[in-house]
Amino acid sequence: MSMQGFDHGNRGIGVRDHQLILPSVVCSTRVSNRIAKETGAITFAHQHGCGIIGNDVGGITEFFAALANHPNVGSTLIVGLGCETLQGNELAEILLAKNRSTNYLVTQESGGVQGTVNSGVKAAQELRNKYQTFAAPLSRLHLGIDLSSENSNLSEVVATLTEVGVAVTVSNSHKNSGLNFSELMEAGVHVILSFPDESQPASGFPLIPTINVASKSALHTALSGDFDLVSDATVEAIVAKIYSVFNGELTKVEAIGAGEIIANREVRSV
Amino acid sequence: MSEVLKAFERSDGRWGLRNHVLVLPLHSALSATARKIADDSLGAVAVSHDWSGEVDGDFDRIVKTFSGFAANPNNYATLFITIGTPNELGIIELAKTLGLSKFEVLNVAELGSMGKVYEVGLALANSLVKQARLASRVNAPWSAIKLGQECGGSDALSGITANPALGVASDRLVDLGASSVLGETTEILGAEHLLAARAITPEIGSQIIETVARYERSINYEGIDMRGAQPSRGNIEGGLTTLEEKSLGAAKKAGNAMFSGVLEYADQVSSPGLYFMDTPGHDIEQLTGYGAAGINIVVFTTGRGTPTGSAIIPTIKVATNTTMADAIPDLIDLNAGTIADGLNMLADVGSDLFDLILAVANGGETKAEKGLHHEFSLSRMYNTVIR
Repeated sequence: MSMQGFDHGNRGIGVRDHQLILPSVVCSTRVSNRIAKETGAITFAHQHGCGIIGNDVGGITEFFAALANHPNVGSTLIVGLGCETLQGNELAEILLAKNRSTNYLVTQESGGVQGTVNSGVKAAQELRNKYQTFAAPLSRLHLGIDLSSENSNLSEVVATLTEVGVAVTVSNSHKNSGLNFSELMEAGVHVILSFPDESQPASGFPLIPTINVASKSALHTALSGDFDLVSDATVEAIVAKIYSVFNGELTKVEAIGAGEIIANREVRSV
Repeated sequence: MSEVLKAFERSDGRWGLRNHVLVLPLHSALSATARKIADDSLGAVAVSHDWSGEVDGDFDRIVKTFSGFAANPNNYATLFITIGTPNELGIIELAKTLGLSKFEVLNVAELGSMGKVYEVGLALANSLVKQARLASRVNAPWSAIKLGQECGGSDALSGITANPALGVASDRLVDLGASSVLGETTEILGAEHLLAARAITPEIGSQIIETVARYERSINYEGIDMRGAQPSRGNIEGGLTTLEEKSLGAAKKAGNAMFSGVLEYADQVSSPGLYFMDTPGHDIEQLTGYGAAGINIVVFTTGRGTPTGSAIIPTIKVATNTTMADAIPDLIDLNAGTIADGLNMLADVGSDLFDLILAVANGGETKAEKGLHHEFSLSRMYNTVIR
């Protein structure tokens, strides 16, 4: 069995062909958003990149590098402001060492907001390759599981997938799906199967299709419209949904463009 | 120009300089829907954030931030989106005690899906925007103005041009009976003794000193010497050499008025006078805290240039140097670099800035507002690894 994949060179095989407009600092999120809207790329708001000290400088840089190098990404345009702690050109250098389909822009050197949007749209279009789809064998695919709450079908789902060669990484370090998602992103998973905590709604990660499985909690029952799978979904139904999403079916949170990035921080902002 | 202030009077006697309809998601997973409602509406605004209901060391600070932001007098109404947990509903209750009078609550658990929230939310937001447009400004006292001072991307001219010009404008506003707030504890480090000497009582002076000392202790506790991370790389490229130099320039924003008090992050600014608030230097965490404090207009001086703004607070950008103001004009509302160019006197630029603050308070749009820069960041004191 094989799935529709995209050969993203050194980033690996993706199950989506995203272009990422990555604001390297909170101050660039609006400019990034305008570029992404014009080019059909993905971007997200976050609050990092400046006023960070200590281990957070390296930590956030590595986190952003992992995002930009994710296998579901075909190309990345980094948008910086200029005076921030985390310098866009240094991030770009780290990425360019691996992936040539990376570029960066700095608002303070690009004539302001409109100038950066204009150059950004042009740069993004130049970066965008038409990647050929190809039949990706299951053995090249990687599923992440956010185990914020337990599910009785888990071990059987994992066994079924690993038997056919799908790599599986489970994250249950946090009760917070958002932090588990970030760990799974850094592990390079293609799709996330999320079992959110009973008190948490369905959620997702911008670059990685996220399948939400409900629990029997009152909240999840009330929010049934937002979950891809009901609490008593069978092993077969769960595995079938995973294959279908590998193959291009949009998950519910993916379809509405939801997904906030939650990055670990060690120290308060200065 | 005429010195008449016209603003929106709220039912509790506070004054709004804007009449926004704010769509506020009380859980990170609701942010995308909130953004979509605002984007598709007739003019509502929204913010996004990364809080998913964690109850940790930062819980009280986050609750205070959301409730204050919701209750900011620049909001005509706030449309909350919630999954309905007691902690989220508690934020709404607290906002009511801070003066929030007009609001709607969309409970996702009652509506059943984000799709339904979007549909109902868009209709509600549009109805509120239409109501907001019917409200008119009336003559307001100077105490209606609650000014927040901010600087970001400072350079060697900040302390000579834009910051002292803001000081001139701030002093005049304080004389007239407005409130004015200096923040950024990071950026008064090394200048605290000068500010403390201007406190109206010795106790307030001690509080200023202690707030800075407490801040430095908390950073040292992490095993990091903040003096190695400040001034930032951008500041150094802009010509600043030491944190003390940066601080002495940053403190100029507060002019020469006496300090009437010290406020914790996001404490309500409820009386006229000049205050110091303990905020991070991080531009957006500071701006968000100002919004939560009920501050309704901000002057933001910048040497390197920054486009950022708030969903609900008009943010006036003042350039410290003409080179930058000319290179990136769509970010800058006023160029104070003309002082260093020898073209204008400090007092004249300060007076121009006062006039601009009044014009913006009366409804004139800032560059950040025109560009729809609606940044929002929660300020946290503790690490997120334990969440």
